[in-house]
Amino acid sequence: MSLNTKYLFLLLLTLNVACQQRRSVGDIPIDDFFKLQDKMAYRVSPDGLNISYFKLEGDRLNLYVEAIASGKSKMITRMEDKSILFYFWVSNNELIYYKESDVASHRSDIFIIGKDGKQERQLSKDDTSRLRILEDQLIDGRYLLVSSNQRDSTVFDVYRLNVRNGEMEMAAKNPGNITEWRTDAEGKLRLAVSTDGGNSTLLYRASEHEPFQPVMTNTFNTTFTPIAFQPGSPNIIYAISNVNRDKAALVEVDCHTGKELKVLFGSDTLNVTDATYSRKKSRLSFAVYETWKKEKHFLDESVRQIYEVLDSLLPKTETRILDRDQAENVFVVRTFTDRNPGSYYLYYADQRKLKKLRDFNPAIHEEEMCEMKPASFPSRDGLTIHGYLTLPNGISPEGLPVVVLPHDGPVDRTLWGYNAEVQFLANRGYAVFQVNYRGSSGYGKKFAAAGYKQWGCKIQHDIIDGVKWLIDQDIADPKRIGIYGSGFGGNVALNGACQNKGTFVCAASNSGIINLFTYLKSIPPYSKSTLQMYYEIIGDPLADADQMRWASPLFQADKINIPVFLAQNTKDQNTSAAEHLQLIRNLKKREMNVTYLEHDGISYPSKNQESRRKFYAALEQFLEVNLKNR
Amino acid sequence: MISEKITGYRKNFLLIITFIILMSVLFVLSLFLAYNFSKKFIENEFVSEKVNVLERSIKPYNDFFQKKLPEVSYYNGYLDSTTASNFVDTLLLEYPFVSKVIFYDSEVRNTPVSDGLNTGRFSFGPKDIYQFGSLVPLDSVKLFSRDDTRRFIVGDDFNALALKLASYIESLDTSRVPSQDELFSNFSNVRSNKITYLNIPRIEDIKMYKKMLRSTLTPQPVYQQDMLSFHLDPYKIKIINTRPKLYQYIKIEPLTYDPIDTTATYLSTEITLPGPFSDFKLYFMSSKSFVDKEIRNYFLPIAMGILVFYAIVVLVAFLIYRNLNINQKMFKLQYDFVNNLTHEFKTPVSVIKIAGNNIKSATMLTDKELLLYGKILDEEADKLNGLMNKLLAFTQIENKAIVLNRDEIYIEDFIESTVESHKLKHPDFEFTYEVSGFTTFVTDPVLLGSLFDNLAENAYKYSPAERKRLHISARLIKGKVVFRFTDQGIGIPSSEINNIFKKFFRIQNQYNQNGSVGLGLAFCKELVNFMKGEISVRSRENKGTEFKIVLPYND
Repeated sequence: MSLNTKYLFLLLLTLNVACQQRRSVGDIPIDDFFKLQDKMAYRVSPDGLNISYFKLEGDRLNLYVEAIASGKSKMITRMEDKSILFYFWVSNNELIYYKESDVASHRSDIFIIGKDGKQERQLSKDDTSRLRILEDQLIDGRYLLVSSNQRDSTVFDVYRLNVRNGEMEMAAKNPGNITEWRTDAEGKLRLAVSTDGGNSTLLYRASEHEPFQPVMTNTFNTTFTPIAFQPGSPNIIYAISNVNRDKAALVEVDCHTGKELKVLFGSDTLNVTDATYSRKKSRLSFAVYETWKKEKHFLDESVRQIYEVLDSLLPKTETRILDRDQAENVFVVRTFTDRNPGSYYLYYADQRKLKKLRDFNPAIHEEEMCEMKPASFPSRDGLTIHGYLTLPNGISPEGLPVVVLPHDGPVDRTLWGYNAEVQFLANRGYAVFQVNYRGSSGYGKKFAAAGYKQWGCKIQHDIIDGVKWLIDQDIADPKRIGIYGSGFGGNVALNGACQNKGTFVCAASNSGIINLFTYLKSIPPYSKSTLQMYYEIIGDPLADADQMRWASPLFQADKINIPVFLAQNTKDQNTSAAEHLQLIRNLKKREMNVTYLEHDGISYPSKNQESRRKFYAALEQFLEVNLKNR
Repeated sequence: MISEKITGYRKNFLLIITFIILMSVLFVLSLFLAYNFSKKFIENEFVSEKVNVLERSIKPYNDFFQKKLPEVSYYNGYLDSTTASNFVDTLLLEYPFVSKVIFYDSEVRNTPVSDGLNTGRFSFGPKDIYQFGSLVPLDSVKLFSRDDTRRFIVGDDFNALALKLASYIESLDTSRVPSQDELFSNFSNVRSNKITYLNIPRIEDIKMYKKMLRSTLTPQPVYQQDMLSFHLDPYKIKIINTRPKLYQYIKIEPLTYDPIDTTATYLSTEITLPGPFSDFKLYFMSSKSFVDKEIRNYFLPIAMGILVFYAIVVLVAFLIYRNLNINQKMFKLQYDFVNNLTHEFKTPVSVIKIAGNNIKSATMLTDKELLLYGKILDEEADKLNGLMNKLLAFTQIENKAIVLNRDEIYIEDFIESTVESHKLKHPDFEFTYEVSGFTTFVTDPVLLGSLFDNLAENAYKYSPAERKRLHISARLIKGKVVFRFTDQGIGIPSSEINNIFKKFFRIQNQYNQNGSVGLGLAFCKELVNFMKGEISVRSRENKGTEFKIVLPYND
């Protein structure tokens, strides 16, 4: 008897060791996925002689400038407790950087500093108003075009800021509803976009002495993004537009008439999202369009050549040019794929030479990462829903546990590329299924509009249809499907739990929107103009109260019957910790399996490493118990 | 000796009687105590169980208070009459004690309002007031609107909570985050049969309210606040009687309710309802006979337990008594044995004594007399010797102290010699015998002889004078030697047949008044066992007895 027990124990011990061994080979530590870069945000000075970057020391970021020729670097900022957020060169010798001053309200102070770290000066005045920089080039060597709400906290006027003495001179007064300003090649303010909530109006003036005239008015679900003025014709602009078409195209528009003159690039199936204009060459470089990944359509042969050379130097990887010098000879290039977060390179166009600066995350080995493949399936009402499927390496793709990962919102999409969270889950043996449910951006106006006010309804159907498709493909184990999302993704995940008819076995949410009413309340006062738009997308709290209640898991706690994981960022403005606690209380009262975790944010790469590790460890454990080993 | 024995016996009996009596007293006492305990316990239960009844009955209210009230806040001020009406409808259905809900669709503003509360530059007033409830007629749902102020005065409920809100905001410390409990207590008002609740705005909004107290902000902000006043009816609380066998009636009564005439025949107790129902109490009443039934229900299993325990104790006493009795009998047997043995020894000893005396007192002895006394002395000494040998052999066999000899005997010769010796002793003893199946037999001749002697002696002894006959048969059956000793004696009564092989056992009758120690058959059984055989008996009273001995046959 005791001998038998001893053998059984030994057997168990061996099994245990075997399991652990298998784990230790396959499971990459959480920290490796989310490892911080120690040098990041590379930029090159306009004269192409210096590069600059953030360097992480301890938990502090500082700005460094390095002479390319000599390789000598110098720390130019001295951060004590607050973080540096963003910076750019304004001249050959000066940089501007943003220093975070109030995390809760996303407020920051703006400084100008010499490349040697001297002559530092704070540009933003006080802590009540906000300053935004409109153009990253100095005008006449001293003026910077900025917008500020110092006159009225709800309205941003445009000022010419003298960076030498800090004086601000109003360049344009905002009548109250202008939210965007654009300059022409000479830096003159000649375009603006105003909004009255739902609709936005493009305003144009021929010169700064004239008043702005409305050119066209579009509803919020129509995209019209001015790119640049056409060189030579002061009234013609390049713009990304989906006016009168479903998918956006790169077009020329006459600002006198508001008429579209020409389609430069676009078709019924391609959605153009961006275009790049070169001030130096005075011509459009390329248009960016999205299919299952971002692609370029070149409009300038010399730009195409640069990218072709880059492609031949860096095969089988995506390349993006992040920054360039004025002469367009020195480029900061980054690479990435779905399995590789990529690296920074410095590229010299004249020598056709690459110099590697830094890996984004040297802990990630491409061959250990999993491939992110596009997938699409028909919805029950005949739409084609696109998404991505990442299958774990080394396991045959049959009967896998699946984590459905709906993206945040309300208007957003999942794009192809390296995603640490997805790779983390796939490494733990889950098939990760990301669905660009209706309402996602990038698939045209109609598809976006199809998702309006469909939270908890058709959006939920799309997710379920996707899961059904995945089961039909024999990839998913129908008894092991979980759902996890952040923000609106969390809303989708928890609604999945509320409306669950056996599809999901567990649901996890990180700072999920559990109450749409509270989300609407969180829209800050100075963005009241966008409130109407949110009413359209999410729901009118008065007219659509029933639908909003249905789509708010807080109201539907009685319907949740599967284990749930709720994480809450205590600093999140969009959700309320009190409501999360109320939801948990209601679930606990019904003796449901609830895991709750409070953290102070997991998304900023430069900080929150500890809370990020805690969060993902808790998520891993939750999924392992309630999904994988079910 | 006999009197001692009897008193000893009586003493035991007395002890047992005393024990039984004491146990019975204990039994009755414990029953009595158990009943008293049950009574006290049930009476205590009657007082203490009311907490459970209260807890269960008030659970829907707690649910309402903890789950449904905060739901008003979920709407963040976006409630309108339709949504509020839907909300109230589900509420009325689920919580019957909610009789009516008044909904104040209100606004917080920076400009004074005519209806509502103005303090500093902070103003708080209703836009519309609605009432919902199952008994509210459709045309009086809307009580107030800014355009039509005639029909309703902004009531006490609104003002009370508005004042509470204003004073809270006035004293708010904006440097710290208020706790949820603090917010809840400042945004709700619990009064008799009424709960008023105001949705808790976001912390940022509360801070803004504080600013609005002192200064006029531009642009002038307007915040939506929903106030709901729930009218509650305590009589609609569903009483859940968790102990229907304990509480006959449970009623909800005003706090002052106190009937006079019930104390004689009824037990009663009460407990105050919590929160907005605190003017009312649960009143519990049971008639005494009703409670008595519950006491009995409680007492019965305890009584059964005591009874079972008592039964076991009595059973044990009986078993002890029985064992004592058996021991007593054993004692008597041994006593008889000693008695008999003494007697057996006494006869030859007294004969020897007389012979010795005669020889001593005689002046001279004739040869004939000498021969006679010599023979007497020799015979009596032999008798004594025989008796002692028997006793010794028995003890030895019983203790397995002797070794079995193995000699081959001719069975006919063996029986002949036995018959011869007994014929010599008792000339009136008639023998017949038969042998079949075998002629020789390997065994211990001394032991077998002893066996034969004893059985023959018994046959002679327990036969009436005219029927002193014995038939011995020896047969080989299935590889075993079977001897049968059949006499025509007095037989053995069937009631005694099981005892005859016991030590010191003798059947009391005229045949064994002297010269028997009750060892004979016990000795025979020991012998047979020692020889690895079996002995059994068949007998009919006054007809005769047959002893059957089965011995292993070894050739």
